[in-house]
Amino acid sequence: MPAAERYNRQILHWGQKRQQRLETATVLIAGVGGLGATVGQLLVRAGIGKLYLVDTGRIDWPDLNRQLLYTEADIGQTKLEVARQTLQQINANVKIELLPTRIDHTFQAPADVAIIADCLDNYTSRFDLEAGLSTDSFLVHGGIEGDQGQVLTLQKGKSQSLADIFTGTRQPPDVIPVTGAGATILAGFMVNELFNTIFGQPQLLNRFLIVGLSDLHLTFLDV
Amino acid sequence: MINIQFYSLLRLLLKREKFELPAVVNETVGQLLQRLQQQLATPFLQKLLDDQGTPIPGTIIMVNRRNIHHLEQLETQVQDGDVVALFPPGAGG
Repeated sequence: MPAAERYNRQILHWGQKRQQRLETATVLIAGVGGLGATVGQLLVRAGIGKLYLVDTGRIDWPDLNRQLLYTEADIGQTKLEVARQTLQQINANVKIELLPTRIDHTFQAPADVAIIADCLDNYTSRFDLEAGLSTDSFLVHGGIEGDQGQVLTLQKGKSQSLADIFTGTRQPPDVIPVTGAGATILAGFMVNELFNTIFGQPQLLNRFLIVGLSDLHLTFLDV
Repeated sequence: MINIQFYSLLRLLLKREKFELPAVVNETVGQLLQRLQQQLATPFLQKLLDDQGTPIPGTIIMVNRRNIHHLEQLETQVQDGDVVALFPPGAGG
């Protein structure tokens, strides 16, 4: 299938030059769960050049309400293997590298990664992820809890750090409520910002987009 | 004036996005928040501070884009023109 035909609808929107830029871009997705499964799928459908997927989890029943890459038949399988299989079925042209490692204080992002999607579900791993990025990398952060969520882009070494911004926050002691619609909407905003960042025009650099799903409210907070 | 902005669940609780209070000489963020609660119909400080008046983890308090943990915490002084943001972020992913 020629790329011009496959990506016709989006090339009509953003043009051939940006499509080529997308097809040579590399993104690392940290966490392939509620946010990351949808972020990965949309990037692959759009024709991203290369993806790194980082996760250590196995698919469980509570994942199925929102983690769009997985089905009942995948229960107990590792998320990374199922994600790769599904994503390659969607688009075999995308290079997919799996990093089945916990993100802790030893984490170092691969050298060819300059754009990272933070789809993690806890602050400690988010801060370790950020610490393991090279200077000037772009980190597109996403978070969701109930019907509230946020997206923010930071540039390592030039922006405030995520750890500084979120100092004093604490991981909720209980399981975090998340719906399929909420995770998908926030993932969509993240992918939109990832495209903007790949195209050299991040719109949420040092600026939270805060999304209220219950009353469909969008607002910004500069940091 | 000091511009106080409410985000996420605090915006829903207080049914407003912002509130302005006139600046008071030598006032701290902690004092400002106490004064704010007196002005608003809905109590909200229990969401931010514990019984000892210490910030409860979960809500970011920023003064002019800086988390107060990197300033003087609740003793951070605020003045005319400052922007104070109260934001409980979503933790999940």
